[in-house]
Amino acid sequence: MTHSAIVKAARSRFEGSGAELVDPAYILPSDIPLELSGEAVRARLCVFTDHRGNEMVMRPDLTLPVAGMEAERLASGTNGPKAYCYAAEAFRLPAASEDPMEFTQVGFEWFGRDSGPVEDAEAFALVHEAVRACGVVPEAVAMGDLAVFPAFIDALGLPRVTADLLKRAFRQEGGVRALVEAAPVPIEADLVPTLEAATPEEAEAAFRAALAERGIPLIGTRSVSEIIAGLRARAAALAAGGVPDTVRDVIGALASVNCTASEAADQLDAIAARYSLSRTSAAIERVARRMELIREMLPELKAICRFRSGFGRRFTYYDGFLFETLGPNLTERQPIASGGRYDGLVSGLSNGKANATAIGGVVRPDRVLRAKGRGA
Amino acid sequence: MTRLSLAIPSKGRLKEKSEEWLASAGFPVTQIGGERGYQAEIAGLGDVEMRLLSAREIAQGLVDGSLHAGVTGEDLLHDLAPVGESDFHVLKRLGFGGADVIVAVPQAWVDVDTMSDLEAAGAAFRKAHHRRLRVATKYMRLTRRFFAARSVGEYRLVESAGATEAAPTTGSADVIVDITSTGATLKANGLKILSDGLILKSEAVFAASPGAVWSPEARASLEVLFAGAAIKGKELLEKI
Repeated sequence: MTHSAIVKAARSRFEGSGAELVDPAYILPSDIPLELSGEAVRARLCVFTDHRGNEMVMRPDLTLPVAGMEAERLASGTNGPKAYCYAAEAFRLPAASEDPMEFTQVGFEWFGRDSGPVEDAEAFALVHEAVRACGVVPEAVAMGDLAVFPAFIDALGLPRVTADLLKRAFRQEGGVRALVEAAPVPIEADLVPTLEAATPEEAEAAFRAALAERGIPLIGTRSVSEIIAGLRARAAALAAGGVPDTVRDVIGALASVNCTASEAADQLDAIAARYSLSRTSAAIERVARRMELIREMLPELKAICRFRSGFGRRFTYYDGFLFETLGPNLTERQPIASGGRYDGLVSGLSNGKANATAIGGVVRPDRVLRAKGRGA
Repeated sequence: MTRLSLAIPSKGRLKEKSEEWLASAGFPVTQIGGERGYQAEIAGLGDVEMRLLSAREIAQGLVDGSLHAGVTGEDLLHDLAPVGESDFHVLKRLGFGGADVIVAVPQAWVDVDTMSDLEAAGAAFRKAHHRRLRVATKYMRLTRRFFAARSVGEYRLVESAGATEAAPTTGSADVIVDITSTGATLKANGLKILSDGLILKSEAVFAASPGAVWSPEARASLEVLFAGAAIKGKELLEKI
C-alpha cells in the first residue's frame, strides 16, 4: 500500500462511522496550546512570529483545532453529540531524528456522547478497525487511565491544596517525589495576625502592615487576597502535618502497576483494599469494564494490551483512558496509532463557556508505512 | 573549516580575562584594527581562525558546530543546547565570570518559598485570572527544563530582552529567571530567590564543539592549546 492508500483506508473507516470530514485552521495563536497545556509542550511546537509580533504555531495535532471548532459550535447555541473526522497534516518538532516535522494524521473526535467504558471501548475498536484496514498487525498496545491517580488521591482525604498539588505534579516530568518528601513550612510569627483576622478586610490590613514592617514593596499581578489565600493553604497543609507516610506507600504501589490490561483492575483493587480506599471503586470498575468490552470486541488484541498506571501522564490534555499502538520496525516513541479521552478540553479551550465530553483517536500513515516495511 | 576556529568574547571583563588566560598559557591574542576591531590573531597555535564574538554567539557556534572551540558562559551553553550537555564539551572551567542562574519572585509573596509553592500559586492564579503566571527570562530552554524537572507547569514564558529584574515591577511578568552574582539587584527590585530555585552555578568555560568538523589540523592546534594551558584529561580530547 502507498501512503495515500493507507490514508484512504483509514479515513473511509472513520467517515463510515458517521463523522463529518473537516480540515480546520493550520495556524493557531500560540496561546491556545501554551495556555492550555503549559510551556512543557513548547519544545515540540513549530512556533513563528507574525508580522505584528504575535507568536503563532502550526497545529501540533488535529485534536486542538477540531475541539476549537466544537467549542465554537456549542457556544453558538447548537447542542447535541457531534463527530468529526480528518485526514490532514500536523506539524511538530521531531523527538527522534528520523521523524518528519510535517506528517499526516487520520483520525476522529467524538464530542458530547456519554463518557463511560462503552464509549472508551468503541473508540478504541474504531481506531483498530482502521489499523486493520491499513493491513498492519499491531505488536503491542500500551494503555493507561489518567483518572486513576486522581481517584486514589481523592480517596486519601488530604487537604485540598496538597491533593491538587499531587495531581498536577503527577502530570509533570519531575513527578510527585519532591512533593511527597517535602516537610511543611511553619508560618512566620508576623504573618499569624493575617491568618487570625476575623474579616477579609482585617486580614488584608494585617498583611499590608506586616509587609510595611518588613520594608517589602507590593509588586506583581497577584492580588493581596490571592497571597493571603496561598498563606491559608500553607497553614492548612502545616496543620495536616505534611504528606503522611500512607500517601507515599499508596503512590509507590500505584507506580508499580505494570501488567497485562486484563489484570489491571485486580491489581488496582488490591491496592485500594490494602489501604481501605473504597472511594476508588468507580474508577477501577471502569478500567475493568472497558477491558472486558475490548476483549469481546477485539479478541485478537487482548494478549498484547498492557496497562501502566503512569502511562501517558505527560500527554497534556488527556484526562481518562488513553492508549498507544505499536507496530514492527518502530520505537515505542513512534506509535502507529493512538487515542484517548479529554473530557476537559472543550471547557479548557473556551474558558468554561462550553463543555463536552470528548474522545478520539488517530492513525499515523507514515509510520504504518514503515511498520509494513519495504515491498508491502 | 580545516584550521581551528577559535572564539573569545568581544568585550568587557570576559574578554580581558579570556585574553589573560590565553596569554598566560603562552598564546597572546592581538586585535586587528585596534581595540574596536572584531578580528584578531593568536600566537603559538599555528594557522588558527581567531574570532571575537558575543558570548551568546560563541555558545551558539559551539552548539551548532560552526566554531571548534571558545570561551563562553556555561549558562548560555546550557540554554542554547537543544538536547543538553551532550551538545557541547566543557574542557576547562576558567574561574571567572561566575554567576548563578536563579528563580526569583516578589518578596511580597510570603506564601511562596519553593518551586512547589510556585506551582500552587500558579494554579490558583490561572483559576482567578484565566491566564497563566508569566515568567520573564533570557534563558528559555534552561527555564523550561528546570521547571519541568521540578514539576512546575503552571506558567508561561516571556522572552526578556534586558533588565529582566524589572519585569515584576512593570507588570510584564511576575516571576523571573535571571543571572545574579550578589543578589543585590534582585533585592533592590523587591525580589527574593526561591530556596530550591538555583538552576545553575555558572562560570566562564573553555568549551569545544562535538558537532564541528574536526580536521587533523584543527585537532593538532587544540592539542597544543591543551598542553600550554595545562588542561588535564586527554579523554576530553578523544571525545571530540
